[in-house]
Amino acid sequence: MKKGKGWLKPLALLSLTGALLVGCSSGNNASPGTATPAPTQKTVEQVAPQATSTDDEKPVDGGTFTHSTTSDIVTINPIFGNDTASGDVMEYTQAYLYNRNPSFDLAVYPWSLAAELPKVSEDGLTYTIKMKNNAKWSDGTPITAEDLMFTINAIKTPETGSPEITKYDKVKEMKKLDDYTLEIKLTQLYAPFAFGLMQKLAPAHVLKDVPFKELQAHSYGKDPAKTPTSGPFKWSEWKQKEYHVLDANPDYWGEKKPHIQKVVYKIYADQNTQVQALMKGDVDLVDSIPVTQLEAVKAKGTINISTEPGPSYEYFAFNFDKKNFPNNYGLFEGQKTRQAIAHAINRQGIIDNILKGTGKIMDAPFLPGTWADPGDAAVHYEYSAEKAKQLLKEDGWVAGADGILAKDGNRFSFEFIFNSGNSRREQAAVVIQQNLKEIGIEAKPKALDFSALVDQYANPGKFQVLLLGWQLSDPDPDGISTFGKKAFPPGNNAGWYDNPKLDALWEKAVSTVKQDERAAIYKEVGKEISTNLPYVFMYQYGTPRGMTSRVKYKDEFKPVSMIPYGETFGFLNWWIDDTKK
Amino acid sequence: MTEYLVRRVLQAVLVLFLITVVSFGLMHAAPGGPLKVMLSPGMSPEAQLIQMKNMGLDQPVYIQYMKWVGNLLQGDLGHTFKNNVPVGDILWPTVWNTFVLMSVAWGLSMLIAIPWGIYNSTKQYGLSDQIASIVAYLGFAMPTFWFGIMLQQYFAMQLNLLPLSDMWTMGKEGQLSDLILHLILPVTVLTLVNIAAYVKYTRASMLEVLEQDYIRTARAKGMKERRVIFRHALRNALIPVVTIIGLDLPTLVAGAALTESVFNWPGMGRLFVEMAVAREYSVLMSITLLISLMVIIGNLLADLIYALVDPRVQLGRKGGRAA
Repeated sequence: MKKGKGWLKPLALLSLTGALLVGCSSGNNASPGTATPAPTQKTVEQVAPQATSTDDEKPVDGGTFTHSTTSDIVTINPIFGNDTASGDVMEYTQAYLYNRNPSFDLAVYPWSLAAELPKVSEDGLTYTIKMKNNAKWSDGTPITAEDLMFTINAIKTPETGSPEITKYDKVKEMKKLDDYTLEIKLTQLYAPFAFGLMQKLAPAHVLKDVPFKELQAHSYGKDPAKTPTSGPFKWSEWKQKEYHVLDANPDYWGEKKPHIQKVVYKIYADQNTQVQALMKGDVDLVDSIPVTQLEAVKAKGTINISTEPGPSYEYFAFNFDKKNFPNNYGLFEGQKTRQAIAHAINRQGIIDNILKGTGKIMDAPFLPGTWADPGDAAVHYEYSAEKAKQLLKEDGWVAGADGILAKDGNRFSFEFIFNSGNSRREQAAVVIQQNLKEIGIEAKPKALDFSALVDQYANPGKFQVLLLGWQLSDPDPDGISTFGKKAFPPGNNAGWYDNPKLDALWEKAVSTVKQDERAAIYKEVGKEISTNLPYVFMYQYGTPRGMTSRVKYKDEFKPVSMIPYGETFGFLNWWIDDTKK
Repeated sequence: MTEYLVRRVLQAVLVLFLITVVSFGLMHAAPGGPLKVMLSPGMSPEAQLIQMKNMGLDQPVYIQYMKWVGNLLQGDLGHTFKNNVPVGDILWPTVWNTFVLMSVAWGLSMLIAIPWGIYNSTKQYGLSDQIASIVAYLGFAMPTFWFGIMLQQYFAMQLNLLPLSDMWTMGKEGQLSDLILHLILPVTVLTLVNIAAYVKYTRASMLEVLEQDYIRTARAKGMKERRVIFRHALRNALIPVVTIIGLDLPTLVAGAALTESVFNWPGMGRLFVEMAVAREYSVLMSITLLISLMVIIGNLLADLIYALVDPRVQLGRKGGRAA
């Protein structure tokens, strides 16, 4: 089951160069209000996006917005494109059936293709979707239920090779009630299906005669001249590895037309150059500013910065398969042992000093602030070496001659692996090593090439501890594909975590359609998983984002850090103000 | 001469073949394939298998290799895994972009370095020679990306005189003046590095020749110093320099990954790094092949130029009088 969690790709290779340019100054603001830092630490204030315009300012039409990135797209065919760059370009060019709102729930906006929220039958098996009747592709063809049916069909057919296949594998049949209404029947009760309807469509009139297995090779989504789009912008030009030009579609069907008339999606090879370009005004938006350069960007004064964390979290995963340890002695068998490690790691310290505030402690695998967030129901482990030592003692660990704990003749020494090239993770690893040493545990960090790490360690489940991140890009909170027994390696449950109680709860939650009942189940999940600890849940994190101050938006349309592609949420309402330049 | 050329070409074909076998094998032996980078983790094994089949990755490596060679012989470099674009579409524009950048830098550094090196050899330890030494130390010691960033900081950010990055300003593609503005900073970086090497080689080579008996003889005959330097010394001194320059020829297309990245130049060095991370085998193989070809051509050209600058070198004669 794909639950929209991708292995986080390592940061751009050359990001290291960025570290050399700007020394970090230590002018962080101390703010006593946040979290619970240890007394000696300074807590870095988190900067949330702010409105850049007052209510009496009127939007003006025109101007070019330059969005910068470090990787090029794969395709803007929604059946295939699921990487960040393709997703970025599709945000401007392809319309969603349903959009996500800032709390990560299904929503209908003037720019959504759907006319109203889906109607779900009493038994939860039938979804009726009503679409707007005035939407058109940029070539003038109407967008109808035919396109929706074609898109779902193509994605769910294995020959197509769509990475999104699991979204629709429970679709039994589809029936067109009229040109703009589609009825979908499921094979079983499955609540996450609704979130799968946050879908961008592929044009049936262009692709319906192409055999499924040839869809990927088709020019739709790769050749701007042959790619009619459904959204407010047309895809005018693609210069491979350099830039995309997106022009406002003069015949756009939506009620709300964009103020900004042109978007340039510009690709940089080097993060440092990208940030310099932001400061020079060559680009308007940089999604991830290396923390080492944050101070320099702030000092510039013309850039609006947001350091709210995004929809990703870092984890420290224990391996429960004893074969991975000397003498087949599983070091992490004891629940108290795992809890001790959670107490020992100074998570807030890492957030403040390494992430420079762009992070937030997490206690369970749910995005804080979303409807499924269990909040206080999850157990919080504050940083305390004393508590950690106490728990280890209770679990039978005794210090050996070399100061390292031991039990039944087995030293508490292990190796934890992570991907190389991600400087923040590398630094965090050193802190973890130090923290654990203080309580008598020898943890040896080891950095590996990302692809090799996934291939040879994570997928086969052969490691002792894994330090990595998950992206929660799927709005549905179901976690069985990460923590369930059926996701044992080569699935996402790389650490062979087996908790039947939790599996039952996950299962129950996805077959409950009412959201408040589901939320109650996730509270129980949150409590169980944070007590039992398959992982130490480290923190939700992100990278600081910068936008030039010539981009204007009101409070209700400001960027939303927490949802995927949320940085351009409300883009149609933004405008460019060059008068004060 | 013809026989010599034929022999060299045949050798080249064999070398190229071996290079492709080795690099193809190594690439596939490296852990983590293109699929690992592309697949979403939740995909069912059946769907993964279909993907593998679509990409031809389910076959043994030697079959994949033979297919690749077969296509290559028909002029088909293959397609990318990720979005099925013909390799040529991505490759050729970057080769041209890199060639523009590198040939300007290369030409400029030779124009400056060789005369400078000659001059310094005649005024050993003079002011100019000292300056050249400093330039050489800087050129060798400074990391190119760092020097690039410094130039950007000063000329693009603080003085705002020159563009920060890229090859063209958007909308001004094809305007020579725009290209020249964009070339100044990266060319400066690359030229400095090249000059550092070429000045030292030229000078050292000249000094060695100037100590030879026949130079002393020439001087003893009362020949003008100018004539001694340019007529007698230079031709001999240039031989090692030509070798170095010939060996540098492949960089004209291979590019300089770091400089290209810092200046966001859409060149091949950058492409190579990117494609290596994505495990795009067909692009990597094409680049490897192209660079190997340039190495071979560079060597061959250097050999041919020996014969031009030094008549004593006779190509194709075994055990001849060649020096």
